[in-house]
Amino acid sequence: MGTVYRLTLRQLTGRARLAILTVLATLPVIVAALMVASPDAPPMTQFETGILGAMLSGSIAPLVVLAIAAAAFSNEVEDNTLANLSLSPLPRWQIIVPKFLAAITIAGPFIGASAFATSYIAFLGDPKAVFAVTVSALAGVILYAAAFLWLGLMTTYAIGIGLLYIVLWEGFFSGFVTGVRMLSIRHYAISLMHGLDERRFNFGTHPALATVVIISIVAFSGLLYLSIRRLRTMDIP
Amino acid sequence: MIDSAAPVIRVNGVSRWFGNVVAVSEVSFDITPGITGLLGPNGAGKTTMLRMMTGLAATSTGTITMFGERVRDNPPLYRRIGVMSEHETVYDFMTGREFVTMMARIRNVDNVEEAADHAIELVDMMDAQHRPMKTYSRGMRQRMRLAGTLVHDPEVLVLDEPLNGADPRQRLHFKRLLQQLAHDGRTIILSSHILEEVEELADTVLLIVNGKLAASGGFRAIRAALNQRPYHVRVVSDSPRALAAAVVNLPSVDAVNIDPDGALIVLSRNVLDLQLELPRLAQSASIRLRRVEPLDDSLESVFGYLVEN
Repeated sequence: MGTVYRLTLRQLTGRARLAILTVLATLPVIVAALMVASPDAPPMTQFETGILGAMLSGSIAPLVVLAIAAAAFSNEVEDNTLANLSLSPLPRWQIIVPKFLAAITIAGPFIGASAFATSYIAFLGDPKAVFAVTVSALAGVILYAAAFLWLGLMTTYAIGIGLLYIVLWEGFFSGFVTGVRMLSIRHYAISLMHGLDERRFNFGTHPALATVVIISIVAFSGLLYLSIRRLRTMDIP
Repeated sequence: MIDSAAPVIRVNGVSRWFGNVVAVSEVSFDITPGITGLLGPNGAGKTTMLRMMTGLAATSTGTITMFGERVRDNPPLYRRIGVMSEHETVYDFMTGREFVTMMARIRNVDNVEEAADHAIELVDMMDAQHRPMKTYSRGMRQRMRLAGTLVHDPEVLVLDEPLNGADPRQRLHFKRLLQQLAHDGRTIILSSHILEEVEELADTVLLIVNGKLAASGGFRAIRAALNQRPYHVRVVSDSPRALAAAVVNLPSVDAVNIDPDGALIVLSRNVLDLQLELPRLAQSASIRLRRVEPLDDSLESVFGYLVEN
């Protein structure tokens, strides 16, 4: 497993890619700092909706993970190098899991640091709120990575379809169709944040913490299973 | 020890179609140890056949087994198989040695460094092993990919157009290497669209044309059929009618026509003799030959002839 993990890390850590991720991860921190420093600081609901909900959980985190996780397989498919791994005696899960771990190894620190710094500035170091924001952002990274890894195996248009999911499904439809939220990773992450610090994040209606955790685990396991199944049954180019 | 008579690979009634396009149709054959050439023109279905034989692609119908086991979705079998695909892309960020050691690790080789040394030495790439693969020539990349294919010492080697990009020296080295590997009891399947390439190496030939198995067996029978093939040769001279009258009497010529622009179209089943007789004849008749060219020497026409006969 270590060989596939190291191979994927090398494949996904090009300078240009890391530079873009750095810029994306820094954006919410800068905006949070500007908002706090402003004499007309917005109310907490606006900060939560605008910065944590729309920017960090709704845009930055999924975009960063999409750029990393989708490429973990789609690059191999496009470059015709996937056969090197597929023609090995490794059980298929020993190809999927290290690819997934490599994706969260790269995306996790960017999003984790961004969530930590953003919430630390916004909530003036309140440890419970910072913990809730950071943990929920990292949970989002794990779920998005599992989803986009699978998408990278399903299609060579993973980036385009992933963008449609982020913008249309999560950003648009889930805003006013309640049922859509049940299939929205962004909604899971935000619900988790509310569940971890109900004192601070008490706006809107969200499922109980235990429910969110169970749904997230089921979604994560299901996506990893689908990826393994796909690698077993697909025609390798 | 592998029984040299027992089939290592068994392909039984295999078809594969993509939508309405039939890539491989009802193909059956057995492959025994030694070198088997999979021959056919571009687009004949060779690569699809090889991809199904190695489990990379599913069959639409039929079964493929290797050592009696199904190939598809059977990763442990890859301990015994080495596959070099047609794709020449490599991990640009790796050195040649890093690539070979990576291939050894994911194939659970016990002594990775020793195995990598041996494989790289086999393909004569020791001097360039620490260079990034992006700096390699096409032939060097192919050799390092072959080292990655050989590093776990597989019993079966499947090589799709392995000589692409190789220079004459590399071809010679490659040929000797494959012959040695076959001599050691391995089963080697080699695909090519170049007749001579397969002729030099393969003991047995499978000829695939339009997705069907057109011929199989020893190369000699196929070569003999080829030598009987009628060729059309176009001859441009300063005196076509006089030349036609003389040429038609040559033993190597079956028929002669004059096309509208005055060139002779000569039909011959013995082109080797015609090549010798035609200049002599022209010289003795004081006729100047301006151009002599074969009209149907393309591989497709060669394969087409074999299929028809």
